[in-house]
Amino acid sequence: MRKTKSFPLLAAVVAATALAATVSAAPAGAKSTKAAAGISCSKTLDIGMLAPLTGAAGFLGQEQLSWAKYAVKTLPSTMGLKVKLVPGDLPVEKGQADAQAVAQKFISDKSMVAVVGGSTSGSVVSTSTALTQAGLVQVSPSATRTTLTKGDNQQATNAFFRVVPADDFQGSTDAAYMVNTLHVKNVVIFDFQEPYSLGLGGEVEKDLKAAGVTTSHQSVANTVTDFSSFVTKVPSAADIVFFPTQSPGTAEAFAEQLVQQGKQAKVFGGDGSNGLGEFKAPGSYISSFAPSITGFAADKAIIAGWQKDNKGKPVGSFGPAAYGAVQVILAAVKAACTKGGGTIAKRSLVIGQMRKVHIDKGWILGGKFSWSKTNTRDPSVQKFYILQIQSNGSYKLMN
Amino acid sequence: MDTFTQLTLNGLTEGSTYALIALGYTLIYGVLKLLNFAHGDVFMVGSFIGFGVLKVLGGAGDPKLPVWLLLTLMVRGGMVGCAILGVAIERFAYRPLRDAPRIAPLISALGVSFFLANSFQLMFGAQQYNYGIFFLDGGSLFSKGFEIGNVHIPLIAIITILSAFALMIVLWLLVTRTRAGKAMRATSFDREAAAMMGIDIDRVIVFTFVVGSALAGAGGVMFALRVPTAASIGFVIGLKGFTAAVIGGIGSIPGAMAGGLILGFAEAYIAGYWTTRWSDLVIFSVLILFMLFRPSGLLGQAGIKKV
Amino acid sequence: MSEPDDLQAPSGPAIGQDEWVARHGERRSQRAGLIGEIEERARRAPWWAWLVLFVAAFALLPVVSHDGYIRRVAFDTTLYMLLALGLNVVVGWGGLLDLGYAAFYAIGAYAYAMLSSPQYGIHLPTLVSIPIIVVIGAVAGFLVGLPSRRLIGDYLAIVTLFFLQITQTVLTNGDQIAGHDLTGGANGIINVDPLHLLGHPLVVQHGGVFAVTYLYISIATFAVVYLALHFVNHSRTGRAWRSLREDGLAAEAMGMPVNLLKLMAFSFGAAVAALTGTLFAALQTSVFPLQFSFPLVITVYTMVILGGQGNLAGVTIGAVVVWVMLEFLRDPGDARILFYVVGVLAIAFAFGRTRKLAVLLGSLVVFGFAAHAIADAINHDWVSGPAANGFDHALSHWVIIPTGLANWVGPVSYIGLVCLVLALTLLPARVRYVALVPTIYLGTFVWENVLLAQPDATRYIILGVMLIGLMILRPNGLLGERRVEIV
Repeated sequence: MRKTKSFPLLAAVVAATALAATVSAAPAGAKSTKAAAGISCSKTLDIGMLAPLTGAAGFLGQEQLSWAKYAVKTLPSTMGLKVKLVPGDLPVEKGQADAQAVAQKFISDKSMVAVVGGSTSGSVVSTSTALTQAGLVQVSPSATRTTLTKGDNQQATNAFFRVVPADDFQGSTDAAYMVNTLHVKNVVIFDFQEPYSLGLGGEVEKDLKAAGVTTSHQSVANTVTDFSSFVTKVPSAADIVFFPTQSPGTAEAFAEQLVQQGKQAKVFGGDGSNGLGEFKAPGSYISSFAPSITGFAADKAIIAGWQKDNKGKPVGSFGPAAYGAVQVILAAVKAACTKGGGTIAKRSLVIGQMRKVHIDKGWILGGKFSWSKTNTRDPSVQKFYILQIQSNGSYKLMN
Repeated sequence: MDTFTQLTLNGLTEGSTYALIALGYTLIYGVLKLLNFAHGDVFMVGSFIGFGVLKVLGGAGDPKLPVWLLLTLMVRGGMVGCAILGVAIERFAYRPLRDAPRIAPLISALGVSFFLANSFQLMFGAQQYNYGIFFLDGGSLFSKGFEIGNVHIPLIAIITILSAFALMIVLWLLVTRTRAGKAMRATSFDREAAAMMGIDIDRVIVFTFVVGSALAGAGGVMFALRVPTAASIGFVIGLKGFTAAVIGGIGSIPGAMAGGLILGFAEAYIAGYWTTRWSDLVIFSVLILFMLFRPSGLLGQAGIKKV
Repeated sequence: MSEPDDLQAPSGPAIGQDEWVARHGERRSQRAGLIGEIEERARRAPWWAWLVLFVAAFALLPVVSHDGYIRRVAFDTTLYMLLALGLNVVVGWGGLLDLGYAAFYAIGAYAYAMLSSPQYGIHLPTLVSIPIIVVIGAVAGFLVGLPSRRLIGDYLAIVTLFFLQITQTVLTNGDQIAGHDLTGGANGIINVDPLHLLGHPLVVQHGGVFAVTYLYISIATFAVVYLALHFVNHSRTGRAWRSLREDGLAAEAMGMPVNLLKLMAFSFGAAVAALTGTLFAALQTSVFPLQFSFPLVITVYTMVILGGQGNLAGVTIGAVVVWVMLEFLRDPGDARILFYVVGVLAIAFAFGRTRKLAVLLGSLVVFGFAAHAIADAINHDWVSGPAANGFDHALSHWVIIPTGLANWVGPVSYIGLVCLVLALTLLPARVRYVALVPTIYLGTFVWENVLLAQPDATRYIILGVMLIGLMILRPNGLLGERRVEIV
């Protein structure tokens, strides 16, 4: 009995100290990060990357990471900077809480000046507020949700930029292509009960209806892999099934089942179905926010260099956008360094410089880059590319 | 009419797969009184093993063996691999807990389920794997077949359904006509009495797991012939298999078969005729109602628990 | 008369006196050595000592560290501590296997979101909405518990699991119920109000850094819930729950209202989960249906079982241990450190301070260096891969990390490791001791090259293995009591 009496007493003393300390400490806690002195540009700067490196969308994040790594390896030395890439894994299966925890990690990193990401629109919604408040600019290579930068109820903050066009363009481009080039009469639109497909599918449905096309809608849970009954419901008169899945494998399986059940409709996927080698049903379409850069002569050297570091991997379209995001970030950081005479006084200065960034040559996705005049956080070139899958599985540009 | 035929075909194909899993659940529950949560993941492993066999034998683009031999080997490989896995699971995760409170093997089963699903995600990634059967032999598995009305019934569907039924018949004979089957039935009826009658309980349980897991493995391969597989499908399939087992009557073999088919048809018709959005909800609610008001299912017998 | 136990030098009352005799059973069941001492102390400490310890630790944290990330992790930990407390009521005290626990968490979060957001235009003040949500949670728990009257054990588990699935489906499709948008559907509900205290909104971030206020609110909530549950446990209800858990039939024969008790267990657990959901929703300022999934349930179960079902302090410790471990796993550098530290501690723990331990560690080190040297000699590429930071220099000559891993190496080595570990349990002691060395080395190889590459899958693998291991080796967890089920 005597031995244990001291334990609670000790604990009580500890608690009292804690209480006293916290009362005095609470307001002081928030100020300390601001008190950090400016970031010297001669030291190694950190650029964070928020992408799904594991999980179902891991292939996307890994592709983007490899290109961003290559950009950080080759570009900063030409600008007189030293940069390190800090990846943060945000699997799509994990929710907001995880995204915000990783964002907090980035915020505590004193040498961090900018963030590439989030790659998925959901992660942008989760992290943008905190990152912006901490003064970190975000440049996303693949978050295409329209409401991030447009509309009344914007889901991202004004320090969020993206180098790829938004989904409203994708939806209208796809619908226009279907109506004007493919002359469709009957289209079935699928959604998978998650924001990407709901947004994109909704956009396409709206435009098609306005053009007088007969549309029907099917809603499928995200976990379904066996589409046989849904395929049965596709009317035999349907020309196109708009299938905005985020997994190329699912698009392939669906296309096969369409053929199996003798439906004549072809599959039209969004940028999520973009997967060379996985989605290969001939006659299907996908839309992509970035052209394949193998067609640009100016990028040959970059592609060769990247392929040396990443043997055997194909050049996709998600990766080069990440390279482009790093290009834009480095331009802004360099401008901030120059303006500050070799020091970045506050992180938020980079945000100001980002608004003025324009690249006159060497932009990986087509030579020149600048922000759009109407919406300064989207790129000026807002084009979605429609590709058709050929009989040998390759993708051919149609527009 | 065509829609009905097509939906019925879908239901039959899906249902036979569900029946195979439900059988495994029923057998294991009958002998151990344990719901094997990991069963769905054994199914998933089976589909991956089939994929492995296919790749080793050249893949769908360039098979080194005639098609029928290839398919047979894939299914056999899945069955053998899953049987071994099932025995290992029983030996290491369930046997030490045979005399523990009932909650213990259940939680252990949950742990095994998570372990399997995430191990495969670790090793093979979370993406989908497509057998590519569609392209096998120039697509003959899908183009050959026969017609009912306007509906084309592909060869692969016929193969799948017939194989599943063949397995079920073999199982039925195994359980009713052999000594091992008799021992299994005796153990599921009353374990202590069976032990007193000289039946080696450990052997019977291992045998049950072998049979149940082999069925799941076969189901996994057949499932993946039509639909891409991924490391995460085990959970949902396990739920569906359990639903089928309960609807049919857990502990009853014809019940499991019936339950599987009923579930397959229900899913197909609800999705086809009514709504795809709420089909899951309807099925889960039906299951809960069954468990509340008729826990013995359609073909099971109401059990009386002796205290 | 029996002799006093030689193992225990009698410092207290001598033989013949009541207390010594009364404590006899304790001494028999007490484990020798350090563990026994710690268990003894833990059992005899006054109950509120634990609570004070937890509160003090968390309250001091923002003083010690100004890092927003650490505060955020601390907040997340308190949420899980609350969830573990709630699940403890259902599983530990009621003995009911509730696999749909995350559904109540979701209901609480969504209820708060619906009551305090632009979704319906209602913006209830916090102090009004919290009691409402707790009641909603309790009612939901009651309703879900109704089937428990007719179902036991496994069946109840499945029904609750299906309830979770149904909840997820309804929340995901809630924007299409008969044409009305009830739950915001897959896009969730955003712009949820943060908590308001006396009319002042509590900001979530100051300059991007996670605000300390929420941490204090959550730890205060934790303290309140802990106290409340403690008093419930020591009341008639708590005693009735214990008797129900030990032997339901006997309890019923004794006239306990068994059904009512089960329903109450469900309700309490659900109410706590709903309260936690409120905190979660207020902090995140939005809710999405996919966050409340089955892996969350498994995580909380691991916490409860690790800590010891039925013991409030235990499940709290379990929550802290599991969640901090999972956070460490997020970053490869930290995870590496964690692995080696835990590994060495585990080996030391298993062998105690004996010569065997020294021999084992020694041979392990030698084996490692030898293997590394051989691999280096065969092909330099095999050992020159990039390592995550942390213990870099010390280990770079011990562990084999190839530059690039061929596709088959990962799966083969992983499966090989699993088979080896399982085989180890079957081998006789001598052989096992020898085989431990290559197994552990293979384990480090697999950890560095395979497991660290996918921290997300790794965390669930570890949870799964913990669940299996705990059930087999130590079902009562850290602070729980060993139970024997009477059949």
